[in-house]
Amino acid sequence: MPLNIDWQQILLHLLNFLILATGLTLLLYKPVKRFMKKREDEYAAREENTKKALEDAERKGAEYEQRLSDANARIAEMKKAAADEADAARSEKLRAAEREAKKIVENARVKARAEHDKIIDGIGDDIRDLVDAMAGKVALSNSVDEAYESFLKSAEEDARNEKV
Amino acid sequence: MTESKKKLSKKKIVAIVVWLFVFAALIAGIVLTDPLYEQEESVSEVMEDAVLHESNKADLFGMQVNPAVVSGFVVTGILLVAAAVIRIFAIPRFKRVPGKFQLVLETAVGWFDKLAKTNSPHRNSFLGAYIFSAGAYIFCGTLFELIGIPIMTLSGVSLSLPAPLSDINGAISLGCLSYIVILSGGVVSNGIRGVGRTLKDFSLPISMSFRLFGALLSGLLVTELVYYYLALSFVLPVIVGILFTLMHALIQTYVLVMLTSMFYGEVSEPYVKKQKVGKKAAKNDKKILVNEVKI
Repeated sequence: MPLNIDWQQILLHLLNFLILATGLTLLLYKPVKRFMKKREDEYAAREENTKKALEDAERKGAEYEQRLSDANARIAEMKKAAADEADAARSEKLRAAEREAKKIVENARVKARAEHDKIIDGIGDDIRDLVDAMAGKVALSNSVDEAYESFLKSAEEDARNEKV
Repeated sequence: MTESKKKLSKKKIVAIVVWLFVFAALIAGIVLTDPLYEQEESVSEVMEDAVLHESNKADLFGMQVNPAVVSGFVVTGILLVAAAVIRIFAIPRFKRVPGKFQLVLETAVGWFDKLAKTNSPHRNSFLGAYIFSAGAYIFCGTLFELIGIPIMTLSGVSLSLPAPLSDINGAISLGCLSYIVILSGGVVSNGIRGVGRTLKDFSLPISMSFRLFGALLSGLLVTELVYYYLALSFVLPVIVGILFTLMHALIQTYVLVMLTSMFYGEVSEPYVKKQKVGKKAAKNDKKILVNEVKI
């Protein structure tokens, strides 16, 4: 053969390379590739888990945010309702108090008028009794001065008694 | 005072070194120009033997073979032992964060795997393993010639073992095997259509084999030429031997591996039926258009 091409040697080279290829594939290429794949899968799983956890956290965050805003809205509603109720109660109480006050004032006025009338009616008899009593005392006294003195004393006494 | 003394001593040292260097160079020149050290074979004979391996045969299990066949088996043995040692001692201790050695291994495997996946996205697990093995064989086999393991040929001449693929038989075997691998990819993926696609590039095994052979042989010839003259065996082999060998080992590994994966990807690509372009297709398009307008 030209160029010293020899079929036997070509086959020998082939056999040699096939042995090498099989050995290298089984001993080196596949185990290293398997290790790399395993690690890659591990990292992928971790990334997946992290992504899931992140999504969970984001979803929960959004949920809490929603809940918080709901609660805030409810609180605001309740506050408004309470304020409205308090306003209503206050205005009702005010109206009741006004009514009561009017009633008291009216009663007082009626009472005062009755008292006034009563006083006015009763005062004539008292004055008459007083004058009678004093005239009697004056008539029974020895002198005018004594009578005058006794009149003043009895008036003072009456006034004191009235105060007491 | 002390500084001047120091300067003097430095000058003395430099002078002694220069003198020794000149003396050694002269001795080397005298020895190397001695006719006693001339080789028995002429440079043309050495070159011819490096290309054809006709005269210097080696013995392998009782067969007369080129020394490159022996090189091939030695390289395979070394690589398999290394792989077994790595498999037993290194791979079980691999860590999630790789160390230096693990990183080298992972980078090599990852590079070949990525190359296979990029060039042949549809079918690549076998291709990855094949190009990894071929790459390792070409690269380590080419660097193997740097070790220069001596071997006694049947004619009684001592040779250093060459790169396995600097033998044309080795190059043909790897080139043809790569072609068969490409063909198998085509057959498995596309059946007879794959065979057709592969046979379309019928010159591929020849071009692959001879490219590999030529590239590796040129390196070998340059190295042989340099080594032939003893006077050139100092300093120059550091550049010629190591640098050139390393470079063409890398380049040839890349070329064969890249070509194989590209052709493999091309033939294993699933067949997609092309739309008919012609009068019928144009008529159909026209009909569809008219219908759409009517609607």
